[in-house]
Amino acid sequence: MSQNIHQPPKSSAKEPSGLRAGLVRITALLERPAWRITFTIIGITFLAVVPLLNLQSYYMGVLCRILMYTILAGSLNVINGYSGQFNIGHAGFYAIGAYASALLSLKLGVSFWLALPLAGLLAMLVGLVVALPTLRLRGIYLAIVTLGASEIIRLIILNWMSLTGGPNGLRGIPAPVLFGIKFSRSQQYYYIFLVLSLIFFFISKRVINSRIGRAWISIREDETAARSLGVEAMRYKALNFMYGAFWAGIAGGAFSPYFKFISSDMFTLDEGFNILSMVIIGGQGTLAGPIVGAIIVNFLTEFLRPISQYRMVVYALLIIAMMWLRPQGLVGASRSVLAERNIGLRRRRKPTAPAATAVKGDS
Amino acid sequence: MDYYLSQIINGICQGSIYALMAIGYSVVVGVVGLVTFTHGEVIMLGAFAAYYTFELLGNNLVIGVLASFLASAFVGIFIFKVCYERFFNAPRHISLICTIGTSMLLRNLAQIIFGPNNKPMLEVVPNRFYGQGVVGFTLVQLIVIATVISLSFLLFIFFNRTRWGIMLRAVSQDKTAAAMMGINVRLTALLGNSIGCGLGGVAGMLLAIYYQTLVATMGGSAGMKAFSSSVLGGLTNIPSAAVGGLCLGLVENLGITISSASFRDMFAFVFLLLVLIVKPEGFGRKTGVRP
Repeated sequence: MSQNIHQPPKSSAKEPSGLRAGLVRITALLERPAWRITFTIIGITFLAVVPLLNLQSYYMGVLCRILMYTILAGSLNVINGYSGQFNIGHAGFYAIGAYASALLSLKLGVSFWLALPLAGLLAMLVGLVVALPTLRLRGIYLAIVTLGASEIIRLIILNWMSLTGGPNGLRGIPAPVLFGIKFSRSQQYYYIFLVLSLIFFFISKRVINSRIGRAWISIREDETAARSLGVEAMRYKALNFMYGAFWAGIAGGAFSPYFKFISSDMFTLDEGFNILSMVIIGGQGTLAGPIVGAIIVNFLTEFLRPISQYRMVVYALLIIAMMWLRPQGLVGASRSVLAERNIGLRRRRKPTAPAATAVKGDS
Repeated sequence: MDYYLSQIINGICQGSIYALMAIGYSVVVGVVGLVTFTHGEVIMLGAFAAYYTFELLGNNLVIGVLASFLASAFVGIFIFKVCYERFFNAPRHISLICTIGTSMLLRNLAQIIFGPNNKPMLEVVPNRFYGQGVVGFTLVQLIVIATVISLSFLLFIFFNRTRWGIMLRAVSQDKTAAAMMGINVRLTALLGNSIGCGLGGVAGMLLAIYYQTLVATMGGSAGMKAFSSSVLGGLTNIPSAAVGGLCLGLVENLGITISSASFRDMFAFVFLLLVLIVKPEGFGRKTGVRP
């Protein structure tokens, strides 16, 4: 899952040594289709077997949260990492999804399996409304508008007492039922999150390798160049934002029956920054990045639980350190505009492999 | 009618605080050339600096203004070192993410140090009222407006009559050309960032005096309002940003009269969206590169 599709083939690069050589060999192995399928099947089987190990429900809860956050961080990464737009209010779409599915099942009695896609669609529509005024503009405007939108969505939820219960929140959201099985414990709910995140990564991989995904990446690398080659940047950016918002809505829709209680203070700006820090720490522009980020940040959250007020301080320091040392994130897209090698104290490297292959590819 | 008139007066007063924030924001963005998310936190720290100065040294407004300006200017130096200095030639989003990280850092540290709850501001200005019936100015409002006008006037003199001000303007118009004229761009940008942050800090003090309260999380909405106001000037034009701040104050207070006060922060957002839809490049003259 982790290879960057925009990378040129690693043919002309020099033979690296040591740890890096090992990594290169492993990734080369993973790129072979037979191996990749085997690894994927082993991985999925392992993930599917985990709940049968009879872990404590605390650990299952952590695993559930990690899986949910992989969807959230992954969908944010599609926006921030793949198309170079800048969304920092992802919590807003998450909140819309959560409230939509909770209200549909509480007030209208809609089944969870219908409410989930509806929650995604609603979040997608809101995403379109938020993105439309800023499509002509560059990153920062979208960033502020998403920040504002996230806060406005929270304010509306907080003040619309008759519908959302205001500060009291919504209680007793019914657990989903499938073929007579009630998904109420985290051991069972784990499978819902697992299946959703597998669907998300499968679809995202397909989308990103398609014409649409390539258009997104070209916009990220150089919007002017992309436009001049006939990419309708505005349309693709709107599409990208809607795609990300849709999956955030799905994650929210799956979250509310899991937690059974939602209130507006679960969707503050800090929640958005939490998701953002997963994407930035894990890596932008690769599918594996948000997974790594979600795992790291969630484990950090658990470790820092005794001193939870320092949690956001630690994330902030990690974000700043990431920007100073490795702006694309731990496993981010190294050969893209997201990675900047010429920062500050680092020695300016000679333009070797990437530039050379690029020139070769052009001619 | 009287009610609306007094709301308009409130709007002008709040608008002048927003104008000061927006002026600070425009100075920062114009001189540094990179957009910042830390302005809200700078405003919050200015408010706390003033609070502790009032507590230690007594109710002296001039000392309060100086303290909040200096404290925020030092924070500005810190922000410059962390977020901008290494990233002038890097892609913009890197320093943007860095400012987000710094803003998270400052806000959460402030929550730990100053406590998460609202603090009542000391009564620096006596509660007096000049006017007839409901319509009129309180002493606080007069002081706020006077401070903002005098600071803007000082800034105007600084930008147009001093050597450093001209250097700042040159840097904000074109960094390469300024460097060729022998201007130390890095130092000038540092100075400009500190001045912009200092103005934000004074705005924070005024905000705390005006609302009689301050809290470590006030930066979020304050930064949003500073940004919304300065969008009217295309983020870099200072006079238009000030006008934007005034408009925002009026829009907010008139909006509150037709709905409830809990939607106060929503009007900043609506205002921002309106400006972005009608004239996204702002109303200022086009000078230099837009961020």
